[in-house]
Amino acid sequence: MFSSDWLTQFQTRLNDDAEMAVIGDWFTVAMSLSCGDERCVLRFERGRLVQTIAMPRLDTPCAFGFRASADIWRRFFADPPEPLYHDIFAMLMRVPGFVLEGDTLVAMQHARALHRAMRVMRTVSPS
Amino acid sequence: MSIEPIVGRYLNLEVGGSSYRIYFEEAGSGVPLLCLHTAGADSRQYRHVMSDSAITSRYRVIAFDMPYHGRSNPPDGWWLQKYRLTTADYLAMVRAVWQALSLERPVVMGCSIGGAIVLAVAAEYQRELRGIVGLESSAFAPGRFNEFLHHPGIHGGELGATYTYALCAPQSPESSTRENWWIYSQAGPGVYAGDVYFYSLDWDGRKTIGQIDTRHCKVSLLTGEYDYSCTPEMTRQVAAAIAGSRLVIMPGMGHFPMIENYRDFRAFLLPELEYMLDDPRQ
Repeated sequence: MFSSDWLTQFQTRLNDDAEMAVIGDWFTVAMSLSCGDERCVLRFERGRLVQTIAMPRLDTPCAFGFRASADIWRRFFADPPEPLYHDIFAMLMRVPGFVLEGDTLVAMQHARALHRAMRVMRTVSPS
Repeated sequence: MSIEPIVGRYLNLEVGGSSYRIYFEEAGSGVPLLCLHTAGADSRQYRHVMSDSAITSRYRVIAFDMPYHGRSNPPDGWWLQKYRLTTADYLAMVRAVWQALSLERPVVMGCSIGGAIVLAVAAEYQRELRGIVGLESSAFAPGRFNEFLHHPGIHGGELGATYTYALCAPQSPESSTRENWWIYSQAGPGVYAGDVYFYSLDWDGRKTIGQIDTRHCKVSLLTGEYDYSCTPEMTRQVAAAIAGSRLVIMPGMGHFPMIENYRDFRAFLLPELEYMLDDPRQ
């Protein structure tokens, strides 16, 4: 789901995002994306995605992450997305298999920038 | 340069032993159409309705800010009580405003929490109304309340605005959904949480909405396909409980039709307002 090519595309698109350049000053955090046995960590610094780590080891700190099945991720990335799968907040409320794991307080402290990052992520289709 | 037809004024009134200074806006003339905003927002959400001559040529459109919202003050002593909107308080405030403005047999239109309370308004006062238009109306809507909505470690304005931005449909114009974001970002501390308390924890109209008699009070229900707070299924359940009600599920629309995508919304709204004008009691 989260191939190195896809991660690179997302990194490029996010780091070119004009809105994140405005709102991302405090978005310094590491988060994970998980799908079955697959997991990657995204490390942001001041709104820029500076490192992507596929299959991270236990010495890779990570505050929170999103976990879902391949089917749920595919629905999230669909264009246009179907109702209830069109946004992370919609899925967190209505799709039980889409889980915010880790420190949810940290995630919500970054709600605005995190939401923007996930909106930009939706524009990059995974292989 | 242009000047919009909307005029704003203040109304001072007593409700439940407390004094309130309520801000309201209006435009047009004709049948009163009282509009109720969503949780944590204010009457600005109805600016397109109030600027639409197809509506204002036949309706006197009025929208007010609930206490604590927009330009309406909280009651004196607000700092000594946690803000928690209840069904009884909300109903009393809507009733007090329409009586204070001497609105004769109004149509009451509300969205989200407003879409919920219009069901209570209709159940309680149906013989005094022409009808209700429920936008994103549910009789029971648990699940939205969470403690992070008012938390010292979280910017409540940004969280509330971002959370509600997500309630808009992907098809809605960006400038409009961002306008709603901006309105939400300006809510006072804990106000959105206090409104969601009503919506998710206090409100349960499942036993009362069956009392609404559409021969006295017409009922139109419009819900967006992408609304995940009040899903189309939740409004279908309301429609099924009210014999004679009209139901429209709006494709490509989210939770805030009057502000997130007015161009598309008006095509759904105008027929319902036309329907409300035909009054079988006259």
